[in-house]
Amino acid sequence: MDDQGCPRCKTTKYRNPSLKLMVNVCGHTLCESCVELLFVRGSGSCQECNTPLRKSNFRVQLFEDPTIDKEVEIRKKILKIYNKREEDFPSLREYNDFLEDIEEIVFNLTNNVDLDNTRRKIDMYQKENKDTIQRNKIKMTREQEELEEALELEKHENEQRRLYLQKEEQLQQMMKRKNKQELLDQLETSHLPASILLAQHKGRSVQVEMQVEKPKPFKTDTFSTGIKKGHHIASVPVTKIEEALYQYQPIHIETYGPQLPPIEMLGRQGYLNHVRAASPQDLAGGYISSLACHRALQDAFSGLFWQPH
Amino acid sequence: MKLNIDGLLVYFPYEYIYPEQYSYMLELKRTLDAKGHGVLEMPSGTGKTVSLLSLIVAYQRAYPLEVTKLIYCSRTVPEIEKVVEELRKLIEYTQAQTGGTLNFMALALSSRRNLCVNPEVSALRFGKEIDGRCHSLTASFVRSQKQRDPTVQTCRFFEEFDAIGRETPLPPGIYNLDDLRTLGRQKGWCPYYLARHALGQCNVVVYSYHYLLDPKIADLVSRELSKKSVVVFDEAHNIDNVCIDSMSVTITRRTLERCQTNIETLNTAIEKIKETDEKKLKEEYAQLVEGLREASVARETDVYLSNPVLPDEILQEAVPGCIRNALHFLGFLRRLVGYIKSRLRAGHVTQEGPAAFLRDLYEKVCIERKPMRFCAERLRSLTRTLEIADITDLSPLTLITNFATLVSTYTKGFMIIIEPFEDRTPSISNPVLHFSCLDSSLAIKPVFQRFQSVIITSGTLSPLDIYPKILDFRPVTMATFTMTLARVCLCPMVVGRGNDQVAMSSKFETREDLAVMRNYGNLLLEMSAVVPDGIVGFFTSYLYMENIVASWYEQGILENIQRNKLIFIETQDGAETSVALEKYQEACENGRGAILLSVARGKVSEGIDFVHHYGRAVIMFGVPYVYTQSRILKARLQFLRDQFHLRENDFLTFDAMRHAAQCVGRAIRGKTDYGIMLFADKRYARSDKRGKLPLWIQEHLTDANLNLTLDESVHLARHFLRQMAQPFRREDQLGLSLLTLEQLQSEEMLQKIQEIAHQV
Repeated sequence: MDDQGCPRCKTTKYRNPSLKLMVNVCGHTLCESCVELLFVRGSGSCQECNTPLRKSNFRVQLFEDPTIDKEVEIRKKILKIYNKREEDFPSLREYNDFLEDIEEIVFNLTNNVDLDNTRRKIDMYQKENKDTIQRNKIKMTREQEELEEALELEKHENEQRRLYLQKEEQLQQMMKRKNKQELLDQLETSHLPASILLAQHKGRSVQVEMQVEKPKPFKTDTFSTGIKKGHHIASVPVTKIEEALYQYQPIHIETYGPQLPPIEMLGRQGYLNHVRAASPQDLAGGYISSLACHRALQDAFSGLFWQPH
Repeated sequence: MKLNIDGLLVYFPYEYIYPEQYSYMLELKRTLDAKGHGVLEMPSGTGKTVSLLSLIVAYQRAYPLEVTKLIYCSRTVPEIEKVVEELRKLIEYTQAQTGGTLNFMALALSSRRNLCVNPEVSALRFGKEIDGRCHSLTASFVRSQKQRDPTVQTCRFFEEFDAIGRETPLPPGIYNLDDLRTLGRQKGWCPYYLARHALGQCNVVVYSYHYLLDPKIADLVSRELSKKSVVVFDEAHNIDNVCIDSMSVTITRRTLERCQTNIETLNTAIEKIKETDEKKLKEEYAQLVEGLREASVARETDVYLSNPVLPDEILQEAVPGCIRNALHFLGFLRRLVGYIKSRLRAGHVTQEGPAAFLRDLYEKVCIERKPMRFCAERLRSLTRTLEIADITDLSPLTLITNFATLVSTYTKGFMIIIEPFEDRTPSISNPVLHFSCLDSSLAIKPVFQRFQSVIITSGTLSPLDIYPKILDFRPVTMATFTMTLARVCLCPMVVGRGNDQVAMSSKFETREDLAVMRNYGNLLLEMSAVVPDGIVGFFTSYLYMENIVASWYEQGILENIQRNKLIFIETQDGAETSVALEKYQEACENGRGAILLSVARGKVSEGIDFVHHYGRAVIMFGVPYVYTQSRILKARLQFLRDQFHLRENDFLTFDAMRHAAQCVGRAIRGKTDYGIMLFADKRYARSDKRGKLPLWIQEHLTDANLNLTLDESVHLARHFLRQMAQPFRREDQLGLSLLTLEQLQSEEMLQKIQEIAHQV
């Protein structure tokens, strides 16, 4: 844009950063001060093509190429007249032909091809379709409606999000404040030494943070290789603690029922014939059908021999 | 060795197997059985590739109707070649065992740049030039011109291929890129088109991610792949970024200026054709009136991998009337380009969604949404009609039309950001329009929908559950495997303080602190005295590396380090970096040892392995967070929070940790390898960071190794290195981390193997 300038006074954007280029219906540029100078009386003709112009029709040039400005100007005017919607046509094809007609007209008007015929055509159309034009003026196209809707939704969501964030932040602040207050109260009233209270407080505030942070999904205490989390590496000697070893006793549950067959035997004894076979999708997750069968048998057998005393 | 994986006979081309490989194959088999998707993490250097290949190939042989094809996607050309070589070994072994020849075909596919054998074309330097030149020699209209006028140049390799190669099927075998080129030279066929043609009939395809994920390329190459294929994304820890990049568009002022010239070129071409061959334009016009129906028929029969750029409903409809005529379409493009230009002229940053952009577009230049959608397709049709040979020239205009189609198709998951200047240089105007995709699931969605099994695997995928979230799919298996080791060969530790007890951290507030920089320098100095052979240091950014090295120089630390080892530095220039790498390896070979300073997310951190003596220690200076002030990143974070309920901090930490793990993992490339992993930032000790490291690193990062001072870490390193220096033979590993067939079949071992996989 820097190298663009007024064709009359040859000022460029580079020399005068506040230069404002204007364009009129014919698509030829002039800078603002030249417009003031040439069109003092409110109207005049274009320097380059001698088209009669009005001063009030000058507007700021939006695009680098002034012909685009001109085309858009014409297009807007035409679209006001040719404003039929897709619903107004019996088939898509006719609508498309209509769209092409518009293009044709705009193209002719911008490139000064066959001006008279085109103007006549527009006038004819305007007369024929007076009612539809009036009616469609107020209506938006369906696509525009969709866009408006999407924008509205976006705005709404943003608002919601802002509120939610605000609320969450407030909650967090409140929790922190509460925690602090609690500590002060405890320090004032409790008989415990301050160091313990401080440690407790620290633990609590970490907890509060974690609560907000989100719980961690997996928590195992050993790794597959048998190394415990928090286990020391060989370089630091581990002190051995002598203690009586805990002995595991298997739990015995009185079921008051007949003996269950072990889970591996279910298939061989034919129990599985009555159970739905597991699909590959189930097997991927580690499910086998004997599990469900075994559980069902447990349910069925337990309490069969039970007698009230 | 012959393995029995859950009832499937698998030929494994080695005498020994790692227990985790067996476990990996079990998990993979289940995923294939269930016809679902899987996410699997297994440490680098434990033979992921060979396990994947041998299981899937065995599965293909056992159930030829269930799985017809394996599509193996990797990142770089060397990786692709490695996979093919591994596959060759496997097939040779299988043939030797079964005693017959297999009717098996596998091939690697890469760009024309790597495959072209035409001496005139392949001499060009850039991939884009080669593509363009190739197109100008092989396009259908050029060839039909040749029939009329013999002076027109065509490619003899392509002609030969088209005449004979298309009908003769490729003999079964394994074809690497080199093999394809040799074959092409021998027979005089074009290897690139030969490979693309053979895609349909081969059992295994190995190519790069883009052939599946980038909608523009996928539509050309991969659309006829069968539904019953298994897709594997190897080294997939960065897959979300690849997806996003393939759907994003960046437009600069230069692009727009070149567009203007493109439009003029098209204009003259249209004028010319109007004079000489108006019939052609009319034909095209008539076709467009009928609509893109031809394409939609093909999609209905489900032959094509659907292209997200061109949604289904578009194909049903005819091209809107306003861009049917070629001249009208050019006017349309002129207005569009003019509009974008005027938007770029704004002096402030704008950020808006596609909906707002479209509304403004309608208000300013009266362009509706519907013709925008057809833009890309319309341009393609026009260039075909105009017979423009060199399409590389039109690339800026193609970019704009792609942008137009995308922006009008998606109202969600995208953001338009216009920045008038770079943040670092606010006085120099350099306007850029980023049309950035925020939703990584968009590009990969057709892949998940189309193929029955998609496997995402890498050495560093932790935390696993984040990938299904951001890629929006539901895997049937998610598992991470730990490394079984006969000796603890990795020593991760977190150094949090220097000897002066000043905390070490690359935190923004303290990173310029002299004490921190000095401590980092001392760390490297002490380590260079203790560690033999190569040390690799990773920084968080080029800028930070420059600063810190300058300050080490001033403090005289650099000089002291150089007494121990030579120093090499990675730069942003690719050629310079490869020289530095080469010299670094030479210095390591030499015995004196060397230090390579590089940057996380750089070239070194992603693709280059430092086996054995090339990397005995890796030092990660700081936590490699992305540049958080970037507007694109901020928009993406917000999107992730709204859509997937991922908190900003979670994602940033996840992203930083996957890169840290990637850097640190460079040093250990096998079980006989060993290395120290130094995390030099006190923030690594926090559970939220530590918990996001891969399990196989985490399990050796004990509490005793957290928040060490410099002295302590040196002491630990010395102890570790002394242990590792003891002779280590295969017999030490056998039965523990390396198994023969008998050992594998023992009850006890099978029990142990079950524990290796951690299901999530």
